[in-house]
Amino acid sequence: MFVTCLSDALFPRVAESMARLLARYGVQLEFPEIQTCCGQPAYNSGYWEEARISARTILDAFDDSDFVVSPSGSCTYMIHHYPDLFKDDPVYLDKAKALQSKCYEFTQFLVDVLGVTDVGAVYPHKVTYHPSCHGSRLLGVKDEPMKLLSHVKGLELVPLPFAEDCCGFGGTFAVKMADISGAMVTEKSDHVLETEASVLVGLDMACLMNIAGNLRHRGEKVQVKHLAELLYEGVSVHEHS
Amino acid sequence: MTNETDRGWLTRLEEQSRRKQEQFMDGIAAKLGRDRIRSAPEHPFRGAPDFWNEFNWPLEEKITQFTANFEAAGGHVVRLSHREEVTRFIRDKAMEMSAATILRQQEDALDRLGLEESLPDALVLSWNEAADTDWRAVAARADFGVVMADYAAAYTGSITVKSAPHKGRSVSLLPTVLMAIIPIDRMVTRLGEILVQFDQAGREQLPAGIHFISGPSRSADIENDLTIGVHGPGIVYALLVDSYET
Amino acid sequence: MSTAETKAQTVKERAGYALNNEFLRNAVKFTTERLRLGKKLASEEHGNWDAWRERGRQIRLHTIAHLDYYLNEFAEQARANGAHVHFAETAEEAVAISLQIAEHKSAKSVVKSKSMVSEELHLNKALDSIGVEAVETDLGEYIIQLADETPSHIIIPAIHKNRYQIAELLSAEAGEALPPDTAIMAGFVRMKLREKFLEADIGMTGCNFAIAETGSMVLFENEGNARMVTTVPKTQITLMGMERIIPSWSDLEVMATLLPRSATGQKLTVYMSGISGPKRELDADGPDEMHIIIIDNGRSLQLGDPEFQELLNCIRCGACLNACPVYRHIGGHAYGGTYSGPIGAVLTPALNKNVAEWDDIANASSLCGACYEACPVKIPLHDMLVSLRRRKIEAGRGDKLEAMGMKGFSAVMGNAKRYRSVVSLGKWGQKLVVRGGEIRTRIGPLKGWNSYRVTPSLPKHSFRDRWPEMEQDIRRTSGTMDPVIADRLRERLRMQKSGKGENAHD
Repeated sequence: MFVTCLSDALFPRVAESMARLLARYGVQLEFPEIQTCCGQPAYNSGYWEEARISARTILDAFDDSDFVVSPSGSCTYMIHHYPDLFKDDPVYLDKAKALQSKCYEFTQFLVDVLGVTDVGAVYPHKVTYHPSCHGSRLLGVKDEPMKLLSHVKGLELVPLPFAEDCCGFGGTFAVKMADISGAMVTEKSDHVLETEASVLVGLDMACLMNIAGNLRHRGEKVQVKHLAELLYEGVSVHEHS
Repeated sequence: MTNETDRGWLTRLEEQSRRKQEQFMDGIAAKLGRDRIRSAPEHPFRGAPDFWNEFNWPLEEKITQFTANFEAAGGHVVRLSHREEVTRFIRDKAMEMSAATILRQQEDALDRLGLEESLPDALVLSWNEAADTDWRAVAARADFGVVMADYAAAYTGSITVKSAPHKGRSVSLLPTVLMAIIPIDRMVTRLGEILVQFDQAGREQLPAGIHFISGPSRSADIENDLTIGVHGPGIVYALLVDSYET
Repeated sequence: MSTAETKAQTVKERAGYALNNEFLRNAVKFTTERLRLGKKLASEEHGNWDAWRERGRQIRLHTIAHLDYYLNEFAEQARANGAHVHFAETAEEAVAISLQIAEHKSAKSVVKSKSMVSEELHLNKALDSIGVEAVETDLGEYIIQLADETPSHIIIPAIHKNRYQIAELLSAEAGEALPPDTAIMAGFVRMKLREKFLEADIGMTGCNFAIAETGSMVLFENEGNARMVTTVPKTQITLMGMERIIPSWSDLEVMATLLPRSATGQKLTVYMSGISGPKRELDADGPDEMHIIIIDNGRSLQLGDPEFQELLNCIRCGACLNACPVYRHIGGHAYGGTYSGPIGAVLTPALNKNVAEWDDIANASSLCGACYEACPVKIPLHDMLVSLRRRKIEAGRGDKLEAMGMKGFSAVMGNAKRYRSVVSLGKWGQKLVVRGGEIRTRIGPLKGWNSYRVTPSLPKHSFRDRWPEMEQDIRRTSGTMDPVIADRLRERLRMQKSGKGENAHD
């Protein structure tokens, strides 16, 4: 499991939900402790040397793993930059290529690799879905979450207007260009509120944290959850009922 | 045209230009990390994807599609069966719109329309039929421009006209109304079917101006509000004719 | 925003101005949405869009990779058609040649059709300085010329002006009050510019594509003014970026399929004109003399640079502007250069040898990749922005505070134990600012973020704190693997090992 620094430190329930869901299918899970952060914040801002320092922990952590699963499209996509990042380092270049071939975003792993589209969840709420930019555009994760959501019993999925528009996070962009980022997240929240959904679901805690932060700032009560959390809640409830 | 001092100046510029040209090309090759390439490289992706080149509509479909596209762009399409109907149509429209000056291309096919006879009260002129006339200015004052399309493409709803000494570019551009006659055997499905002919003909056969026209002139530059007839003709008629030459 | 104001500030300041301009934001939003929707419908209707994009990309890549051959071929064929071909390495050279031609023709007025490259050269001002009137004839360009401003969008340059402002500008020109009615205003412009077309000495154009094999240049437009300036005046000057080449007319079909749909959602622009040299001897219209000025101005700097060579594929459709969420909020002037939006953010620094003053545009992006997805020739603009950022730091021009922050980041993230202790410290440190599980303080680095959001607090236990206990629990309750799933995993493992495991989109 590649839990991501964000889930590890701020949203541990996300990685835990993912772990527990996968365990139901008998998947043997490991958490190599030496992993820290994929290095995106440094990479995106152009600090590649610093990005490499962080990225090496990821590459070393998963040397022996057969499969690597992450609850984040952007972190998974970051792995695809590793061959470029390490092109002058033959040892790590090899590791990078290997990791690239075995690393999956959570819904990719569940749907494309395991072949599971119905986890047996029950979640009778009105839900809207935000497709994160890196996951959907660049990693190509579009159908997988939709398939999973479509099988959740009782769930009413309302389409999010202009769903593909970026939420404005962009890592350091949100801090460096705070007003532009603020305008973008405000617009995204406006669209979420338009749907009158009670829950916003997504695949990337960076985006969700960003949007949730704005919604809270505006005093809105919409709940914001990662799909892994939603699904796990959906099966836990089912089991206890 | 160009007088002596001009010629001298142009020659000097050309010499400078040729030297610069060599520098440019050498520079490009150097940056690309190789020697100059002086013969045509293999171009495996020339033109449209293969599946596209197989795409063809039967005649009636071409006409239906052309009509839909041209009308969607704000043009008018009329289907006529013979040349006489074309004459009648243009005459009726000219009278309806009180057109005083009609400018047509100077070609046999358009001579046979007999517009001069049909519209005795209007001034009907043929492009470049007389020397010592500023034909551009004539076109600017004309109400109707009448041309015969060299080709038409159904997929995009486009008419193609080629310039020539007796076929001015101005005729399809300056007058307020454009009447474009299209014998239906000149209609193809795809733009590529027309464009490839220019490749095949080669540079020396090309006219100075090849123009594709797909509707009336338009702009949405003011608050996204669409306006028709900005610089080119605001009223465009495509006259599709089943058999023009009989 | 006037040209002077544009230069004076940083992207952040200009963006701030734009964000506070309600009309501008609404206008940009409305226009980009309309164009984006148009593109979506047109590309879906056409079908196989990705196959066409790939084709377009391959044609452009091939041409740029062999640019010395194709550009040379174009020049030779154009000369054979009777055109005079000139080469300008810099903007100054291009301007000098243009002025020389104008002077030689004793020109008093020039009518211009839309040309982004002429904006790069600031040509109008130069012509003005030798007493030659240069009139923009594209409706949007004419409007901003009257306002003495720069275009704010590649395709719809006056997007930032409302009809009242436009009516005011045109009324001043007309010498009488014109109502803010589109049809009436357009009618005035048609009449006014027609006079200009007929009396102008020189017609000046840009160039959408130049066909190498026959020395022809191609113009795409909707108004008819490009046709006007290439048909009526006796002399024509065409300004062309050196990379605007395609090999043949057949290749033009691909560009004609991609460009109009990407720009505005049209199947084809109302006019597409292929001009092969000046008028033929017996023609009664068209220019007697035609000059083509081929311009470098920083384009060749991209050749041989694996990170930026693809930039030259650009066909200037503006689709990236319409897709960009940042552009939608701040408009074109905030980018501070001739080109705006994602393409501008990369092109402006790339064309300028002195990158320093343009550095900050590369930061006005969340790297969402919408530009790449929209680009009809698949230019990876989002990657190029990261490359620009990296080069700035490698050149020693990074922000010192940020660099320190990043050093701190790598120090912490380089070692899991260190990372863990920092997170623990954070949990203690945040007690100062956490209220009810949330952080709303707006001090220091939190100021920008917390102006629009509430920050969550660090939970008591991180994932890795909980893992040992979690692992035990999971092991106890974990299910047995379904043989079907086991097979799938084995198959996937096999695929991965044989090198078929790529699962990224690009």
